[in-house]
Amino acid sequence: MDEYPDFDRSWLPYIYLYGVGGIFFLGGMLLVFKSKACDWTRASHRRWAKVLIFGYFWYAAIHGALIYSALNV
Amino acid sequence: MAMFSLLMQHVAQSGSDVAAAAAADAGSSPIFWFIVLGYFAVVLGFGSYFARFNKSTSDFFFGGRRFSWWLITMSIVATGVGSHSFLKYSGKSFEHGFSGSMAYMNDWFFMPLFIFGWLPIIYYMKVRSIPEYFERRFNAKVRALATGVLLMYMLGYVGIGLLTMAKTLGPILGDSWSLMEIIWVVAVVAGVYITFGGQTAVIFTDLLQGFILLFAGIILFVLGLNWFGGFDAFWNTLPAEFKLPLSNFNDDPGFNFVGIFWQDAVAGSIGFLFMNQGLVMRFLACRSVDHGRKAAAFNILFALPVSAIAVSCAGWIGYGMMTQDPTLVSPDTDPDTVFVIVTRILTTKAGFGFFVAAVTAALMSTVDTLINAISAVFVNDVYGPISKLRGIQHDDKHHLKVAMVASAGATVIGVGAAWSFSLFDNLYEAHGFFHSTFTPPLVACIFMGIFWRRFNTTGAMATFLAGTVMIILGRFLPHELIEPIAHGVPSIDPETGEALSAPFKYIGALYNLMACFGSGIVVTLLTNKENKDLEGLTMFSLTAARRMFKGSEPNDRVGFPQTVTYELDTSLPLGAVRMDREAMNHLAAEQGDLAYICDKRKWLGGLRSAHAYFDGVHNSGETVLLAQDVYDNGHFLPGKLLVVEKEF
Repeated sequence: MDEYPDFDRSWLPYIYLYGVGGIFFLGGMLLVFKSKACDWTRASHRRWAKVLIFGYFWYAAIHGALIYSALNV
Repeated sequence: MAMFSLLMQHVAQSGSDVAAAAAADAGSSPIFWFIVLGYFAVVLGFGSYFARFNKSTSDFFFGGRRFSWWLITMSIVATGVGSHSFLKYSGKSFEHGFSGSMAYMNDWFFMPLFIFGWLPIIYYMKVRSIPEYFERRFNAKVRALATGVLLMYMLGYVGIGLLTMAKTLGPILGDSWSLMEIIWVVAVVAGVYITFGGQTAVIFTDLLQGFILLFAGIILFVLGLNWFGGFDAFWNTLPAEFKLPLSNFNDDPGFNFVGIFWQDAVAGSIGFLFMNQGLVMRFLACRSVDHGRKAAAFNILFALPVSAIAVSCAGWIGYGMMTQDPTLVSPDTDPDTVFVIVTRILTTKAGFGFFVAAVTAALMSTVDTLINAISAVFVNDVYGPISKLRGIQHDDKHHLKVAMVASAGATVIGVGAAWSFSLFDNLYEAHGFFHSTFTPPLVACIFMGIFWRRFNTTGAMATFLAGTVMIILGRFLPHELIEPIAHGVPSIDPETGEALSAPFKYIGALYNLMACFGSGIVVTLLTNKENKDLEGLTMFSLTAARRMFKGSEPNDRVGFPQTVTYELDTSLPLGAVRMDREAMNHLAAEQGDLAYICDKRKWLGGLRSAHAYFDGVHNSGETVLLAQDVYDNGHFLPGKLLVVEKEF
């Protein structure tokens, strides 16, 4: 565990996680809008849609910051 | 939980004198036992106290759908952390670094479908169990199939939990206790309070346990940082690769990112959010869909990252200790023992007792959630349908008694399952095979049922039957069926070069999901469309689900909660409340709208609350008149103010 991590070990899993995971997430968001399960005319639904988008970037930021810190700090 | 048993079993091989001392000390220290037994007394006390809040099966299984999001969140933490998390994640983190806990940080991708799909469906359609959804969505045969699979899965899980706990306590109790005797004692303790306490008891004990678990883990982390002399010293001790939060992409067949992504981030997340009957019951215990959403979101956004630190930090600390002083934590340390070794290094005997109590709490949470869930499935999906077939109608009190008997029965069968699992050499691989074989068909069936209107009954049957057959085939033909989609994960041991006996153990989840989803999709497309009323059962008809829940058109005008005194009015019809005209205007409420009445003290989390409907107005001033059943269900105390809210 002493070698400096290469791309396969550091950023590739991150890209796969938020790329393929992002496809599931985006597909889910599109489905809830298309089905009108998320009704944009209701304030609480708009708030929840924003929370969902925040959550995706929240975790992407946590993982990104941890990888950056591991490699650079 | 299994950490202690594994510590005792492997301590000789691990070569750690500290761990050996911990094992020897634990069973002989009065303060250790005082703390551990004190914890059990508190748990039993909680169960007994909250049992009095059960007046119906709705109370017993769903806590009367009354609780606030924060209470449910902490309860989910205790259930989610689970029985062997401290052992498993500390060990993985010791071996693989921060990536050992990545399974805790990848659950967000399916949240849109849960928050706007599955949660409102089960809540508004009053789905009491997952198999019940299968009958409403498909037919009784699919329900029976789902019931059988789900019961076997959950009973097996109870058995695993009881056995793990017994193996943990065995070495501490000494040779005078046999494994089966310990299993029985553990089962009685777990069974008693769930049998008499029901879901309300579970939620409140889990609230306590959730706090204990997080507190214990974070305290351990702080103690560890202190041992190093601060965070910077700790951080600089660790190599860069150890600090990466995601593991190698596909190099290591024993722990690779891509396999864990499909096994945990996809299959595990869907299974946890959509198929876990215990978790479903937690969300149904929330006072509203919105509170269920808050509980789920807060849990995943904030509680899970904290939980990840709590359950994994011993592995990080242990690795750092090893690099600084290999005589303290040996490089040859068995990863399964690292939590106990680190805990014993950092704490006193009393502190060690506290940590034993904390991880015991984790197991208790898992076991009693499962027992309550089995009881719910038995009453709703076995006893209920059989009674209906025989033309017998039972009242709710009868079902409540059946639920209690079912809880006790589930505990006894769980003991039997624990005994059968004790015959296996490798408990976790046996359970892993069991788990990965039964979960994907249910997951695929629920998922397609909710989100694909075309998905029909024949497709659902194929998902169960053909899907399971293909999963089993995959076990026997891994190179032919799994390797082509294995993303380059090797099937040989990289160190020895020998072929692995069970290759693709993580990436196999992708094949299992494809097998089940594929079976369902192909058969559905090859068979006729069904003319079935799916109102409220898919995410395309949630407006209808809300209307059906209320019984009339929802009223979404924004109002303001009102704080009032209350009076009992026995002349009101069942489920009714009345307020004066001014209060109704402030609430933006109309006759027939749904009301939620709660004790003003928010810290009770909704324990003293009830649902009702507005039945007109009165002229008695700032007070709410309660029907007899609303008063009874709310457990309101004399002289206390209530807050009344309009739901919709």
